[in-house]
Amino acid sequence: MTPVQPAVQPAVQPTATMSGRYQRAFTIAVVFLVAVWHLGGAGGQLLHNRQAFASFAFQGAMWLVMALAIAAGSVLALRAAPSWRLAWAVAVIALAASTAAAAASPVGQMLAVNWAWGSAGWTGVLVLLRRRFTELAWFLAAEALATLGVLAWDGLHRTDLAGFLAVLAWSTGAQVAVAAGVRALDVAAGQAAAAARSEHAARERAATAAIIRAARHARWLALQESAVPLVAELAAGTADPGDAQVRNRCAVQAARLRRLLAEGDEVPGPLVHELHASADVAERRGVAVEIETAGPLPQVPGPARRVITDAAIAILTAARSQARITLAAVAAGIAVSFVADTGAVVGLPAAGEGVAIDHQQDGGLLWAEVRWNSR
Amino acid sequence: MEQQVTVAIIEDHPVVTEGVASWIRSDPGQRVRLVQTARDLTGLDTGAPSAAVVILDLELAGELVTARIPGLVAAGYRVVAFSGHSDPAIVMETLDNGAHAYVSKEEGRDHLVEAVLAAAADRPYVTRSQARAILADQRPARPALSQQEQQALLLWFQGMSKASVGRRMSISENTVRQYISRARAKYAATGRSAASKDALLARAIEDGVIKPGEIMTYESFARAAGD
Repeated sequence: MTPVQPAVQPAVQPTATMSGRYQRAFTIAVVFLVAVWHLGGAGGQLLHNRQAFASFAFQGAMWLVMALAIAAGSVLALRAAPSWRLAWAVAVIALAASTAAAAASPVGQMLAVNWAWGSAGWTGVLVLLRRRFTELAWFLAAEALATLGVLAWDGLHRTDLAGFLAVLAWSTGAQVAVAAGVRALDVAAGQAAAAARSEHAARERAATAAIIRAARHARWLALQESAVPLVAELAAGTADPGDAQVRNRCAVQAARLRRLLAEGDEVPGPLVHELHASADVAERRGVAVEIETAGPLPQVPGPARRVITDAAIAILTAARSQARITLAAVAAGIAVSFVADTGAVVGLPAAGEGVAIDHQQDGGLLWAEVRWNSR
Repeated sequence: MEQQVTVAIIEDHPVVTEGVASWIRSDPGQRVRLVQTARDLTGLDTGAPSAAVVILDLELAGELVTARIPGLVAAGYRVVAFSGHSDPAIVMETLDNGAHAYVSKEEGRDHLVEAVLAAAADRPYVTRSQARAILADQRPARPALSQQEQQALLLWFQGMSKASVGRRMSISENTVRQYISRARAKYAATGRSAASKDALLARAIEDGVIKPGEIMTYESFARAAGD
């Protein structure tokens, strides 16, 4: 008996988790970078220049506000891609703190003692990392303009402007480079994951194909005994296509051939094989049976499978000339349905084992659906 | 009488061409007129289209020709794929490339002429094999279908008539058609762009099958899921 397996398709998930894992690693690297910058770079500069500030306490408070913004931004970035509201709330707090710190700096020395510009920029990179690039560009531009505004308020000198441009070039340049780098790595991770996925799928397909080929060969041999003689009889004129019985034999063999062809793209499973076996029995009675599947089918545990095959046997035995069996993946399970010209109501097996049975009679056609739910 | 729809058959097996021609001939309303048959695509995607609709066998001389569909669509044909390949991935690729409908060889007798007529009017036509491909679709960028649309597609794929599907779901047969057509129209709003998909979508909006808002909702949903 086959053990119960979870009703999920294995091929889809690894890609998402794999590229997600890479992206998370990149985010952690950026969090680390921003934290080190704020503690070491900005913090160090603040302490080094503590004598220069009119109020060191205010600068310290702004540094703490920025640290809190970075902490909040890190949590947001690590949890999931933050919504634009939250991302921009953190960015605007960082921007406000940095502008306030700059405005409270001594006139004429602002650029020399400024610790906040870099931290605010890095905070923006952290929270806007996975949003549109233009959003980060807007933020960095706003940050630069705010600093320039403070400079202009204090009375802008030519030397100030040169200093401003130098700081702008190196700090914003580094921030844009990191953001662009992470973006490129995200794309590369996605591609690597997709490649791994297709390789995984290819291996799975090859294994499946080998099993199917063997089953197919067995069926082909069986066809040699049933379809080939019929074609020979038709060709020789000993079977008359006008004869209803001959036409029925043709319909049965055609259905059989179609199933043989259709098997190529199905995943083999005990349930499908059991239904094929039931179909073969019905075919010997002259019923044309088609079997089709849709979606990646879950493994159905033995007892539930027995309810499904019992229903198949009950319906196929009652079918007069044609039956269609479908297996479809549905939320958390499988829906196996039968449409057959049974004429009258068929005694269906009792539901149970996580299986529900539904049916509807329309004239001579019976529709029945057996649904197995894994939950 | 309404004008006949002109059709060309591209099929490399003469016996199949003959069969399709006989289905066209035996249509009681004589609604379709066969104007051309060919064994390959040579010359079809250049110049003015010879017919309104092309019935295209997806495998010509042993090769899959799904990649040629955009060329045919650009040349002004509406394409109805007619194929022995019922693999959902191939069906999806066929539709994504701009084919109006997909009819498997087993479905030909019952559905091919109707699919040609629907294609000529830019209306959706969903065969059971197409419903199967939609149900089997696992791509992350697939459109979001409502529960009703899913259920109608599932019952149709299972083999019920549309009237029976309606009874089962306690809705009219017309509503069943509407659900199935809407699911198909949502697919026309996805993937590669093609004139045929735009035409199908425009017609679906005109017919009230789908509202422009429903397409928008779907697109923003897909973007959110893709982020």
